[in-house]
Amino acid sequence: MTEAPVVAVPGRAPAPGPRRSSRWLAVLLVATIAVGAYLWVTTVRWQRNSAEWEEKAHEYAEEVASLRMQLDGASSELEAARDQLSTATARITDLANEKAQLGDENVASQQYIDYQTQVSAAAATVASALGQCVSGQEQLVGYLKEAEQYEAEDLRRYERQVNALCADADDANEALQRELRQ
Amino acid sequence: MRSPVRRRAGGALVVGVLLAGSLGGCGVLPPMPEPVPHDIVPSAPADLSPAAGGGALSPDGFDAVERMAVRIRNVGCEELSTGSGFAVDEHTLITNKHVVADSKDLEVSTYDGHDITVGATSTAGLADLAVVRTTDPLPSFPELADADPEPGDPVTVVGYPAGGELTVTEGEVMGTTRDPLNANLGEVLLTNAPVEPGSSGSAALDAKGRVIGVVYAKTADDNSLLVPLSTVQDMLADDTAFTPAKGC
Repeated sequence: MTEAPVVAVPGRAPAPGPRRSSRWLAVLLVATIAVGAYLWVTTVRWQRNSAEWEEKAHEYAEEVASLRMQLDGASSELEAARDQLSTATARITDLANEKAQLGDENVASQQYIDYQTQVSAAAATVASALGQCVSGQEQLVGYLKEAEQYEAEDLRRYERQVNALCADADDANEALQRELRQ
Repeated sequence: MRSPVRRRAGGALVVGVLLAGSLGGCGVLPPMPEPVPHDIVPSAPADLSPAAGGGALSPDGFDAVERMAVRIRNVGCEELSTGSGFAVDEHTLITNKHVVADSKDLEVSTYDGHDITVGATSTAGLADLAVVRTTDPLPSFPELADADPEPGDPVTVVGYPAGGELTVTEGEVMGTTRDPLNANLGEVLLTNAPVEPGSSGSAALDAKGRVIGVVYAKTADDNSLLVPLSTVQDMLADDTAFTPAKGC
């Protein structure tokens, strides 16, 4: 006796149903909330950070403005100081030149004084020689007036001496005159 | 009509995509800001220092080329003359032989009018050069160039033309020539830098402020003649080149 085959009719599989979908949606919701929370916190932090940077930027902007004013003032002072330095160096150069010229004049004057001193000394010597010449000639004239009282040879020797003295005095005088003419 | 299985698969796919998008989006989410630093001013900018551009400054506003020049007054036994010179070290001056010739006394002064006490003076036999030792220190002295200049090179002459103010004149090297005065052995340099009597002994400098020669004469066509640096160096290196100067 054969049994009739049993044909099993498959029933409908149990549907995952709303429970599984809800789990996925819950996960999605949580993830979205987490991301949203993160974005909110991040935004708040960035806002705060931006405000701090802006405040700092304002501080530095004020500082830059102040420093620019100081720089302008310092630049003006520097320019004035440069002008003063330029004037001072030009004045120093002028003064150094004036001092040098005065030194030259002083040396030249000293050399002239030395020259004049030498000329004066030479003139005094010439004058003395000429005076001795005149004295000698006067003495010779006196001797010649009383020539009979002296030896003729002595008178001639004295005359030669006086003439030599006067010749030297004349030479010295000529040399002095030449020097003075230069 | 869509089957329920396909609808469920589609929903899962949407959720998965959303989740993947959310999680993947974390990678592009903005990070938390760094805390604002207290001070953002750099302590020392690398490319800017207070000394930048200050190389040309001097203690008193005068250039180095002016500070090393000296005026020489030669008090002779009968006459007075002036010339120029320049320092080569703290106690040594270079000038021309004819500037210190027939001297009873040498008086040296600096760019600012200071008098410098002079010691021994010696002159070269084969060039119009003289070395003057000073007791007082000299304010500044230049470097010597590496070699003689070439034609066309710029030249700066600093000295006291006509015994007047300290003057800086400029020109360029025209070439070399035989010494028309026969005062120097070998050839001398010819430049168009203006000089005058009294400029003798002035330093001739290149574009870097280094000595390239010593002015010693002026030509009839207003050019200047220099004892070249090579001659100066040869003379300074030769112990027998200089002998004590004879006074008047």
